[in-house]
Amino acid sequence: MKLRRNQILLLMILLFPAFAHAYAGPGAGFAVLSSFWTIFVAFLYSLYALVTWPFRHLMRSVRRRKAYGKASVKRVVIVGFDGMDPELAERFINEGRLPNLKKLRDQGTFRPLRTTFPAISPVAWSTFQTGVNPGKHNIYDFLGRDLANYLPYLSSAQISEPKRHLKIGRYSLPLGKPEIKGLRKGTPFWHWLGRAGIFCSVIRVPVTFPPEKFPGVLLSGMCVPDLKGSQGTFCFCTTRTGGGKFREGGIRIPVERNGSEFHSYIPGPDNPLGTGDELRAAFKIRPDVGKQRARLEIDSERFTLNVGEYSPWLPVKFKAGMGFTAHGICRFYLKEISPEVEVYVTPVNIDPGRPDLPISHPVTYSIYLAKLFGPYATLGLAEDTWALNEEVLDDDAFLAQCYGNHEDRERMFFDALEKTPQGLCACVFDTTDRVQHMFWRYLQADHPAAKDVPQDRRPEVIQNLYMRMDELIGRVMSKLDDDAMLLVISDHGFKSFARCVNLNAWLHQNGYLVLKGDKTESGDWFEDVDWCRTRAYTMGLNGLYLNLKGREREGIVAAGPESDALKEELREKLNGLADPELGTVAITGMFDCDGVYAGPYVDNAPDLIVGYGAGFRASWDSVMGKVTGTIFEDNLKAWSGDHCVDPRLVPGVLFSNRKITVEKPAIVDVAPTIMKLFGLALPSYFDGKPWAVGARGS
Amino acid sequence: MSPLLLVLAISVVIGLVMVVVFRYTSDQKAIGQAKDQLKAHLLAVRLFQDQLPVVIRAYGRIFRGTGRYLRLAFMPFLISLLPITFLIIQLDRYLGSTGLNTSQPFLVEVRADNADAANTLQLQLPPGLEKSAPAVHILKDHAVVWRLVAQREGSYDIGVGSSGQTVSKGVVVSKRLVRLSPVRLRGNFWERWLSSAEPALPDGTVVRSIAVNYPARNIDVAGWEWNWIALFFVVSLIAGFVFKTVLGIQV
Repeated sequence: MKLRRNQILLLMILLFPAFAHAYAGPGAGFAVLSSFWTIFVAFLYSLYALVTWPFRHLMRSVRRRKAYGKASVKRVVIVGFDGMDPELAERFINEGRLPNLKKLRDQGTFRPLRTTFPAISPVAWSTFQTGVNPGKHNIYDFLGRDLANYLPYLSSAQISEPKRHLKIGRYSLPLGKPEIKGLRKGTPFWHWLGRAGIFCSVIRVPVTFPPEKFPGVLLSGMCVPDLKGSQGTFCFCTTRTGGGKFREGGIRIPVERNGSEFHSYIPGPDNPLGTGDELRAAFKIRPDVGKQRARLEIDSERFTLNVGEYSPWLPVKFKAGMGFTAHGICRFYLKEISPEVEVYVTPVNIDPGRPDLPISHPVTYSIYLAKLFGPYATLGLAEDTWALNEEVLDDDAFLAQCYGNHEDRERMFFDALEKTPQGLCACVFDTTDRVQHMFWRYLQADHPAAKDVPQDRRPEVIQNLYMRMDELIGRVMSKLDDDAMLLVISDHGFKSFARCVNLNAWLHQNGYLVLKGDKTESGDWFEDVDWCRTRAYTMGLNGLYLNLKGREREGIVAAGPESDALKEELREKLNGLADPELGTVAITGMFDCDGVYAGPYVDNAPDLIVGYGAGFRASWDSVMGKVTGTIFEDNLKAWSGDHCVDPRLVPGVLFSNRKITVEKPAIVDVAPTIMKLFGLALPSYFDGKPWAVGARGS
Repeated sequence: MSPLLLVLAISVVIGLVMVVVFRYTSDQKAIGQAKDQLKAHLLAVRLFQDQLPVVIRAYGRIFRGTGRYLRLAFMPFLISLLPITFLIIQLDRYLGSTGLNTSQPFLVEVRADNADAANTLQLQLPPGLEKSAPAVHILKDHAVVWRLVAQREGSYDIGVGSSGQTVSKGVVVSKRLVRLSPVRLRGNFWERWLSSAEPALPDGTVVRSIAVNYPARNIDVAGWEWNWIALFFVVSLIAGFVFKTVLGIQV
């Protein structure tokens, strides 16, 4: 009896709080067990670390001595601002708006940074990371074309179904994971650094999906797909009937009324069990018109949103049956609740805390960031420019989305900075690119898309963007010591995009592209094109292709003198092409790829690169392989700025806290420069040349 | 009902109830965040293992995070402590000991205020119970111990007399699951609350306590002898883990 009483007393009082905690029931018991488990794991790992420390320290010392033996820096920090324009940066510096970038300019370096041909992010950032021209890394545009059918494919990665399946009734069970194949060739310079024992943290550099193994950590950026496998498909749920199909990037979903509730769904990926149907996640909306808010329910999540407000990132599950579930995250934006109900849902991003596809190296890195900071956007093009283009989002909602993602990115970057006291820390911020694309009309009063721009906010949005980036640089600088080198770079600059040029229409009107029968216009992706009589076509943003015999499925132009002559003819006719309405030059350069690319993958390159003049770009239809009746038209979309022009017009920026003495730095030089700073030998295939870098403040 | 089934049923129900109580008495969001942060710092130790300062900082954060997590679980713990304590004490009266067997000797220990009083103690037995050995006096404890044996099953009241006053104590001889009181005490509310199932002894008596040494109950699970509290702890935890997952509760 005494023993029993003592047991209880001991459990409940003497060992308080630990065992009493457990004793007080499972709820509190878990807390103790979990805490002890955490400490136990940490302890075990510490023990392991302690026992193996002498060996690891020895190996590390040997490697580090080798790694840092010839290094002239302890740490290199690269801040990439996608699309930061040197002219705008200089203008805002001179106006006194960017004190930190001014400091870099005055005490270190500020130069325009030559970009790639063409000046497109996946191309330029691939060159940045590999130190080679596109002929060696195989990325020429967002899209490549399939020679067998003239249809586009994503140029950076291919995801295919698992090869083997097990048939059980109507189900086809995948045996294995989807196969992800990276199409970018070449070796990123952080692989060389990692192999030499220099630790690297790489955050959201474009064209790093699928993530490749190397001794460091990496979070993939541009080209990571959404859960549907697309590059971003938003969902617009509405009670309004009608409304056309979105040109691309979005799906309109009906919202059904059921009493005081409204029901809708988010479309997900195709059922992996091969049933042929699409997975869906249903959700409910309960509007409160008086308070201008609504209660939303999806899975076990319930939350209230005011009109004009975003939800946080929420987990979404798509259940396929037989235990297969796809995990994603998305945000809801309540657009309207009366008289109609309209909800915008972001593309369903891969859940970084439970990634169904690898989006980081190691896989645990994306999980680590999700646990540390909560869920974050993983989609490559996370800022939904299509939703703004299609007027599903308004300007303010789009900006809120951009800066929300930007803040997440900042948190990850500063964590990486803390975790990389030695080595390389590189992060690319996309906000600069997306905001300039969508808000250039705020800078240019006579832009065709500027009519609805509020007068009082005209210059403000892009100014604020640059000021925010400057403030970020200030915080980075405060964390760097004398041994660190800071590089602030962009892949390209920006120009207005006021006029659209449909080169397929020009090719059609000039007899190079022929339509079937007596058609005067084609559908998307060359529907109705008579390939047997077509000699040239364009697809994507800057590439012009010859319909080469033996290369394209129905090619008719013989490689050699005939193709050379055709290229020359097209160059002559298109170079200097003028817009009859404005009287200005729409194409300032036609570049023969044989002259600008060299390497094993040049066969995949376009035959000519079109260099549009400032204010012009390939039309929305032309990009999608459509022939229209007119060659020139106004660009009325919110997407009002662009960089897919003559690359000589849109260099990027190069800022540094050190003096860099080079006449015309180029983005291809970054990789060799970093490797040289760390004292590594440069691979012979590099196209870039290392810069001469002085000491800090020298 | 067999004691094993009873413990299992109670454990599962308590597992469910306590998880639900935990859900409504804790800051679920903060607990979720605290757990995520802990996992992140553990991952940091692995991810940045070659950066010694980073690893040391991560360990520091793990210990701070554990403290924060325990702090967040403290309020639900306090709230669940009282009802669970009460429940366990009540259950212990049924499950902690077994009733006495017929022909099985057992001890009755009576403690008095002082040695003189102990010398005056007399045991009065009802029919069905009888002494099987002479009384043993333990002077330093002011106690007298009698060894008794029961002739047949039943509930008995034994009397202890001293200076003309008699107090009684119940004794249960039974194989069934019944409520048992191993001791009857004088005064001290908390001690009585924890270990006795009978009213207090009167204040005027010299008897401080009368105890019966019921045998401790062990529950057989697949050949292993379990104390019911240990079994309750394990089963309720397992049930709690299952229910928390099913109900999506952060614990």
